[in-house]
Amino acid sequence: MSNRRMLALSLSGVLALAACSSGGGAATSAPSSAAPSESAAASGSASASAGGATDCTVAVSWNNYQQPRWAKNDQPNIKKTVEDGGGKYIDADANLSNEQQLTDINNLIGQGAKVLILLGQDTKAVLPGVQAAKDAGVKVIAYDRLVEDPDIFYITFDNVAVGKAEADAILKKVPEGNYVLIKGDPGDPNASTFLPQGWDDAGLKAAVDAKKITVLNMGGSEWPKDAGTYTDAWKTDKAQANMEAIIDKAVADGNKIDAILAENDSTAFGVAAALTSKNYGYPPLSGQDGDEANLQNVAAGIQYVDIWKNANELGKVAGATALEMCKGTDAASMSLPAGLVEASVAPTSPTPQDFTTPGGNTVKSYILQPTPITQENLNLVVDGGWITKDKLCEKASTGPTPAALCS
Amino acid sequence: MTNVADATPVPGQAQPPARTSLRDLIAQTEIDLRLFGMLIAFVLILITFNVISGGKFFSPNNMVTLAVQAAGIAIIATGMVLVIVSRNIDLSVGSLVGVIAMTYALLMTNILPDILGLPADFPFRWAIALAIGIALGAAIGALQGFIIAYIGVPSFIVTLGGLLSIRGIVWYLSSGAAVSGLDANFQLLGGGAQGSLGGPLTWALAVVGCIAIIALLISGRRQRRRFGFPVRPMWAEVLIGVVGCLIVVGVANFANNNFWPEGLADRVAAQQNWGPKPEGGWRIPAGLPNPLILLLGVTIVMTWLATRRRFGRYVYAYGGNPDAAELAGINTRREILKTYVLMGVLCALAAAIASARLNGATLDVGQSYELYVIAAAVVGGTSFAGGIGTIPGAVLGAFVLASLAYGLSFIGVNSPGQNVVAGIVLILAVGFDTLNRRRGTVGSSR
Repeated sequence: MSNRRMLALSLSGVLALAACSSGGGAATSAPSSAAPSESAAASGSASASAGGATDCTVAVSWNNYQQPRWAKNDQPNIKKTVEDGGGKYIDADANLSNEQQLTDINNLIGQGAKVLILLGQDTKAVLPGVQAAKDAGVKVIAYDRLVEDPDIFYITFDNVAVGKAEADAILKKVPEGNYVLIKGDPGDPNASTFLPQGWDDAGLKAAVDAKKITVLNMGGSEWPKDAGTYTDAWKTDKAQANMEAIIDKAVADGNKIDAILAENDSTAFGVAAALTSKNYGYPPLSGQDGDEANLQNVAAGIQYVDIWKNANELGKVAGATALEMCKGTDAASMSLPAGLVEASVAPTSPTPQDFTTPGGNTVKSYILQPTPITQENLNLVVDGGWITKDKLCEKASTGPTPAALCS
Repeated sequence: MTNVADATPVPGQAQPPARTSLRDLIAQTEIDLRLFGMLIAFVLILITFNVISGGKFFSPNNMVTLAVQAAGIAIIATGMVLVIVSRNIDLSVGSLVGVIAMTYALLMTNILPDILGLPADFPFRWAIALAIGIALGAAIGALQGFIIAYIGVPSFIVTLGGLLSIRGIVWYLSSGAAVSGLDANFQLLGGGAQGSLGGPLTWALAVVGCIAIIALLISGRRQRRRFGFPVRPMWAEVLIGVVGCLIVVGVANFANNNFWPEGLADRVAAQQNWGPKPEGGWRIPAGLPNPLILLLGVTIVMTWLATRRRFGRYVYAYGGNPDAAELAGINTRREILKTYVLMGVLCALAAAIASARLNGATLDVGQSYELYVIAAAVVGGTSFAGGIGTIPGAVLGAFVLASLAYGLSFIGVNSPGQNVVAGIVLILAVGFDTLNRRRGTVGSSR
């Protein structure tokens, strides 16, 4: 008997483990989202005597607070900006569940939210929640990820500009020569459309047409569809295997690879591994995301540029916009306070601009500019609290050209 | 039981009557026709790519890349054969590779140096990490195998659960970030110029291989004589010996024609004071890459386990007829459990290659390996009906699939095109096999 019970126990343990991985562990995250709200509630009672922003409660609905970025960069900056402006901050985490997010939104409205900053788990499934917020007179900010609704305010980074920044940096470094283009998943519009559009904005196609640049891995003749190699699911090991074949082909053809445009960091990491295992040396290589392992590669001289989206600044812009919305300022007369965000990151205009969504809605938006990180300005990621200097420089000395910051 | 005999040529199979058609001549050499056919298909694929690329494809450098890319999948596929033969499946291999690769990365960047205080120059740190990874793989495999064999939850469900939950654990291990910077010695497991045997050792290995082939042929003949089994005709023995030796020596010669990249050779020469650079630069043969050596070892051990040990015989017997095997007194549950432990160990080896090649681990290492591994086993002649499948076949299957992926990306076909071809080849391979088998069972003299 006892034997059988043991088996049942171990089995339920495994099931619990499985539930954990898919659900994201609701129990563990509850305290993290409750903590900020409690402290905010405590200060809330004291602020009854303060000015116009007294009843400005700003609510954030996270889709997945487990991802380290939110707790480390976005949340503290939203909270601080809101509280510095006399508002009250509350939040909830949906643990990757669309249903949970709808419940969260209703709860946050019930707690008296005036503005909802929304990181939608799904751009469409969250719409009933957006409607509920609108019905209750709550303004909605789509944060980092778009929600298809005509009445939202959209705050994000410029994804086309990311591609442009990648190609700008590489083209400046290598204006002529043989290029390899490594793209992401063929089903992702970022990989097939937006980022390549950014590359062309930077002058890649013009340089190819002028015969200054030759793309070594053309899959056909159509631009940009056949230019470069796609990477299923942005997988690092797939990018590595593809790059190895491209290097072998280049060597067999007697071509030298002068530069590599990789769309993001997971593919760039695979490309770097291929260059290492082939002892090819390190032609200038691009990436985006500011992943720790890639920034370490930049510090070591293995990756030339990493386009970084400074989430600290994104949080500040969202907090400031929420405060304005609380006051009832309409989007047309809104303006970002001078000096709130770093000049290099700030939207091109301090007043909100129109943004046309893929679904055909025109919404007001703040579109922030990404920051290209090379060895020259590595200090930005350290100063911004994105990564510690020790971590950044951990393997710099093993690379071909360690950054000055790390010596 | 005919199925079992079909899978692994058993000494003493009825000799076909002595006629002199080509088919019978081949039959007299007792070469596995299915394996032979696949080898020819593999060669045809290589030739096709070579023609399309204008003769640039079939070079030592490219073939070494191909072999290294195939090695991880092939290693796991050798175990998948036994799992499928015993009428089970393992969908968790990709996630297992992911979690063990991440473990290696964390061990070497974090746990060993910072928590256990073993600095980077601590001797055999790579081996310590490898041992921990293998133990972890065996433990997870044992847990899954236990639930499958002793509790009786279908393997499809258990390993599907494993696929999901273990991949989730990878996330928790690293909080979603990629981890990079492995031990320099560990990186050699991933191949590359320095992670290869080098010229002299490759030649030595070829000589050893040649001697082993001849020794095996002689001892096999003696054994058969001793027990009164029919033996191969002498010409067949000599043919197999000579061709086998020629292949081994040819591969070694081919691999030794892959030289260190110039930049690397110059750098190492300067570091180690090799003296003045010879005319035409350093020409240092790289030889066979380490992942391929690992695969070779795994293939030999697994084939031995499958065909020469009681464990292997039991697994095939169970797959051929589970009830009969159980009634014959085989402890089938224990054997099933063992297959999953073995899978865990093989996943740990594949994870070592994958993480060494990346010099780190990302969240997606090993993702969708399960599909490639199962495809490799099936292309290699393993049957889902159970009881049928060979380990060299699965290795060859992995090489067929890897050659398609590598060859297509070499000639510039993008990944959607690669997937289309891989899928079609999978269906074709199994289709031919099924037709062949049907014809074999209906009309053959066996």
